[in-house]
Amino acid sequence: MNVMLFLLLGAGIAASLVSGRDALASLQSGASAAVDTALRMSGVYLLWMGLLNIAERAGVMRALSRALRPALRLLFGNTGEAEEAISMNLAANMLGMGNAATPYGLKAMRILNESNPRPGVATDAMCVLLCVNASCLELYPASLAGLRQSFGSAMPYAVVVPTLFASLLSTVSAVVLCRICCSRS
Amino acid sequence: MLLAVLTFMLLVTAAIRRVPVFDAFREGAAQALPLLKTILPTLAVFSAAMALFRESGAAEVLETALSPALKALGIDPPLVPLLLSRPFSGGAAVAALSDIFTQYGPDSRTGLTASVLLGSSETIFYSLALYFGSVGVKKTRFTVPVALFCMLVSIASGLLLSSLFFPA
Repeated sequence: MNVMLFLLLGAGIAASLVSGRDALASLQSGASAAVDTALRMSGVYLLWMGLLNIAERAGVMRALSRALRPALRLLFGNTGEAEEAISMNLAANMLGMGNAATPYGLKAMRILNESNPRPGVATDAMCVLLCVNASCLELYPASLAGLRQSFGSAMPYAVVVPTLFASLLSTVSAVVLCRICCSRS
Repeated sequence: MLLAVLTFMLLVTAAIRRVPVFDAFREGAAQALPLLKTILPTLAVFSAAMALFRESGAAEVLETALSPALKALGIDPPLVPLLLSRPFSGGAAVAALSDIFTQYGPDSRTGLTASVLLGSSETIFYSLALYFGSVGVKKTRFTVPVALFCMLVSIASGLLLSSLFFPA
């Protein structure tokens, strides 16, 4: 991250010295655009995290995680108490809210680590959690659709289906590879 | 449409189970505020750096240099900052995406393809560092190669599906 920022800024300033363009004005307008983008994003997050919490309080998430249990068992093995945190993590990820998924993911890691026979070495379930997270299936990319809409898109949902398929392929490859790797070790 | 039906069903279920809908919504939405606080600084620094990188002309130099390779892979040059930042930082990737939306519009081919690429990939290195770091795991076994491979799968299929769904 640090290297990347250094390269972006370094190359940008060097190029603006050569071309004689106003570097500070670009930086300033970029930073202001960030506030704009953050406000657009926060509308989406406020709405969806509010709705998700209603779903949690109404027991919908618990029902969903029960329904997901056979699939989770198959993928993760018996994870006991971590199961609920894992299913919440995956649910938030499937809605395209990686930031909202993180607290649940960290909670799941903590619970999984409590029963880790070799501290410092990742268990099968931890590796699978990370791999599935890294490839996560997007049922509905809420924050993406919201961001598109706020930029005045006439078809904010046009990207939902291709996104779903692309992430599905990625998740399928994650599941297949994890099964191969887990059984080997 | 489907989402509206689902939201309606959620409200009915909540009403049957006597969930205080207003309080539950507020409670959940309140958790979004700390998130905003964590995202904004990253978004600001990368948004500024990317604006500078593009407006200074450095992006053009890079794109010209990479254009034969990009053409062979079927990648639109403006997508490069998004693809490079995506595995490391969600904030930087969102900054790159909004930059593309501002420059080309969300409904341009570039804007649509960028949306699919962002939506179908994840910040793999950030998640790896955060998740494993939080429990002190050093040996990550097969996680990194598998995650990287999945990222390539989602980028390749994202590009392919975009060209199918949004023909020029």
